[in-house]
Amino acid sequence: MLKNRVKELRARYGFTQSDLGKQVNVTRQTIAFIEKGEFSPSITLSLKLAKVLQTNVNELFWLEEDDGNEE
Amino acid sequence: MKNDFRMKYPLWMMGFILVLGMFLFGVSSPVTDIVNTETEQSMSVEYGLIAGFVIIGSLLLYFLMLIIFYVQLRRHNEKNPTQKISPFAVRPPEYLEQDEGMTHITRKASQKVYSFMIWSLPMLAVFAMFSPLSRIYTVLAILLVAFIQYVIYYLEIRKHFKEEKE
Repeated sequence: MLKNRVKELRARYGFTQSDLGKQVNVTRQTIAFIEKGEFSPSITLSLKLAKVLQTNVNELFWLEEDDGNEE
Repeated sequence: MKNDFRMKYPLWMMGFILVLGMFLFGVSSPVTDIVNTETEQSMSVEYGLIAGFVIIGSLLLYFLMLIIFYVQLRRHNEKNPTQKISPFAVRPPEYLEQDEGMTHITRKASQKVYSFMIWSLPMLAVFAMFSPLSRIYTVLAILLVAFIQYVIYYLEIRKHFKEEKE
């Protein structure tokens, strides 16, 4: 399963789901689905999210199975 | 989003199917008298009081629903000029496809409906072929399948919107 840090970073920058959605040109609901891990975004959307949240895709998304490998 | 007309569209279709079922129930029980002799040929169809009431009631209800449906459709089209719904669209207007997230949940809902259809349609065909019941039950079974597909679609979409919060 794909895990992410979207909610955490969005809160850090004080964005609502709607704000973030507008910046990457998707609906608020799609941001909610991504945060819940219910939907894996495309590479394009992942890159857009990473850009708005001032990080890189690897920091924003990772596979659950890789959790144990993190230091 | 929950008030989006496209979300409510399956509910409207379920309503129309129910009214159609009511109408069918009404017209399915006439007393038919056929006279076919050398001197006279006539056929009279007589509906009982309840059947007549159901037929007229369902017709009135159907047209009332049709008017409200059309008003809501126009209101949606005025509010969403970029996402207009045509009342005669071939493509189901309940699809939510503004972006990839919406497309994802539409696909999930459509897959569930498809899974239902691939076993319900053959069963329906077998029922229609071998059922000793009158034709009316086959039509009712078709309406039931149509109703259930909208229920499945609606519940799947609603599940996603119920869970998501700002």
